[in-house]
Amino acid sequence: MIIEIGEFTRVEGNGRAEVIVEDGEVRKVKLKIIEGPRFFELLTLGRHFYDVPDLEARICAICYLAHSTASVMAIERAFDVEVPEEIQLLRELGLLGEFLESHALHLYLLAMPDLFGYPDAIRMATRHGELVREGLAIKAFGNYIRELIGGREIHGINVKPGGFGRYPSVRELETIERRSESLIRFARRAASTFASQEPMGAKAELFVATDGYLFGDELVASDGERFHYTEIEEHSLEYSFAKQSLYRGKPFFVGALARLIIKGDQLTPIARKLLEEHWEKLSTGYVTYNNLAQAIELVYALERVAEIARTLLDRGIQGENVPIEVREGEGIGYVEAPRGVLVHHYRIDSGGRVTFSNIITPTAFNHAMIELSLFEEAKRRYGELPEMEFVQRLEEVVRAFDPCISCSVHVVRL
Amino acid sequence: MMEKLRLGVFELTDCGGCALNLLFLYEKFFDVLEFYEITEFHMATSIKEKGPLDIALVTGTVSTQRDLDLLREARNRAKYLIALGTCATHGSLQASVEGRIRDRLERVYGTRANPMKALESKPVTDYVPVDYALPGCPYDKEELFQVLMEIAKGVEPVRKDYPVCLECKLNEYECVFLKRNIPCLGPVTYGGCNAPCVRSGLGCIGCRGPLPGANLPGHVEVLRSLGLDDEEIARKLRTFARWEP
Ligand code: SF4
Ligand code: SF4
Repeated sequence: MIIEIGEFTRVEGNGRAEVIVEDGEVRKVKLKIIEGPRFFELLTLGRHFYDVPDLEARICAICYLAHSTASVMAIERAFDVEVPEEIQLLRELGLLGEFLESHALHLYLLAMPDLFGYPDAIRMATRHGELVREGLAIKAFGNYIRELIGGREIHGINVKPGGFGRYPSVRELETIERRSESLIRFARRAASTFASQEPMGAKAELFVATDGYLFGDELVASDGERFHYTEIEEHSLEYSFAKQSLYRGKPFFVGALARLIIKGDQLTPIARKLLEEHWEKLSTGYVTYNNLAQAIELVYALERVAEIARTLLDRGIQGENVPIEVREGEGIGYVEAPRGVLVHHYRIDSGGRVTFSNIITPTAFNHAMIELSLFEEAKRRYGELPEMEFVQRLEEVVRAFDPCISCSVHVVRL
Repeated sequence: MMEKLRLGVFELTDCGGCALNLLFLYEKFFDVLEFYEITEFHMATSIKEKGPLDIALVTGTVSTQRDLDLLREARNRAKYLIALGTCATHGSLQASVEGRIRDRLERVYGTRANPMKALESKPVTDYVPVDYALPGCPYDKEELFQVLMEIAKGVEPVRKDYPVCLECKLNEYECVFLKRNIPCLGPVTYGGCNAPCVRSGLGCIGCRGPLPGANLPGHVEVLRSLGLDDEEIARKLRTFARWEP
């Protein structure tokens, strides 16, 4: 017997799952990514490097800046370009804005209705309007930062190899500092709301993240190993447009929970206190605690955004781009997208054209882990819950990964 | 109280931006809800009511058999269908990749097999008649808000038919081409976005699709004069629409 989970709702993109039951027991779960292929790797081949970050941004709207930043970092590495701290800080600011926008979207509009028993945030707003509005305020603030750094709320083209089209003004940085501090209270409330969620799905045993909090030079695993993404094996499946990834033959988890577990010591003060307070839960590794982890990251992002704005205001903005000398090269950009590790890898020829491109997105890294979590939750609940609730519960497990299915469908080496 | 209009959002293959942009209306989204009841919107709600619809918003390209079935269903059920965003109106990036679908599948997935029934990516407008086409990658959310409000009031919205260039002039943005020699597709691209890219001091990359009747040969000359070769120009033009220069 096969229990079909129709298209997942309240996630980005189109996916389904099948639970295969034999002799009254759950034998297998197949996670099917049915979003059509988008061929981004082919699209960038032969293009001039300068245009590439703007194209890659279109992989995903929720985290377009993570894509353009990873792309820009890979290009700079290929040309051996180092950008000054000011540009790094502004990129970090943009990525933090994206965390706020993306986590707030996921936590308040997609995941929270499950906690209160509503089919969506619109209906939830009738009883919990306050919470929904708090979430929208955080999301809007995140988007304000994305627009400022990225040029538009979605798919801006302001992030360029070597710098930016336009730099923020003193007034804009002051606004950021002021507004972020006033929102921390809301984010703390989100953390206590999600702390009450039940653990579900699999207990992840291995976590992977970049070495810095938001970007880095290589990857680190929770067992302490440092490595390049090429150590991760990928394989195609016949039932899905996305590939699955394994590290040392095992599924692993990337995302907010992985970051807190591996890099908790890099957090800002209030976020670190929250981490300590909830450590007992988070350290169990249950994947649904990714929601709680994201809420703690909202606090981190708000604190860090104010810090960066302050630093930049104190030292003043130079607003100068680093010139780029075109030559043959190869580079990898590692960024933490809101959903986890994102990799862009290119080779560029002496004319500045891309000859090789490979992109691996967090949802592709998590693919095997999502499937495993569905399997474990299905085994636990099959026969115990009526079918409707059973299916809803499995959807809730998928949602905790905050999967971005559009992103996951192009995960290849060419 | 007047009866609310029934609205459905249908997402085909895309980046999710055009669906997401609707939620970025924030407080104005609640204004939309004064006139509309959202009966399905898979990114935002678990409710799926299958009845007839007053308006269907369709985002993304038709890239699989599932997309095509969903599009036909939306068309059959809706009185008024809006192709929303450049994927839906012009095909956007995934439709601009050259080569046949099986070859592409092989290059990316290592197999020519096509069990998921991938099709050549095409815009929605290639398959069904649409009542209104709103381009943009993504579209400008204020523009969508206006369109939804006009329809709610029984007014047929008007399509913008001027280039991005005009919006730069209205906003008094410095022309990046004249002042800084930056390649810009503003003169030949549908306006309506308010030229945010030029505001950042960068050239328009044409995300709203080609403006019919624009002087394309003239603009190709301009781009050549900046030192771009023909292949690069063709690729720039073809990024968001299958547009033959
Ligand atoms: S038109 Fe652009 S923003 Fe809209 S769905 Fe397509 S790629 Fe995304
Ligand atoms: S200026 Fe051009 S690229 Fe930028 S949003 Fe408008 S149409 Fe799109």
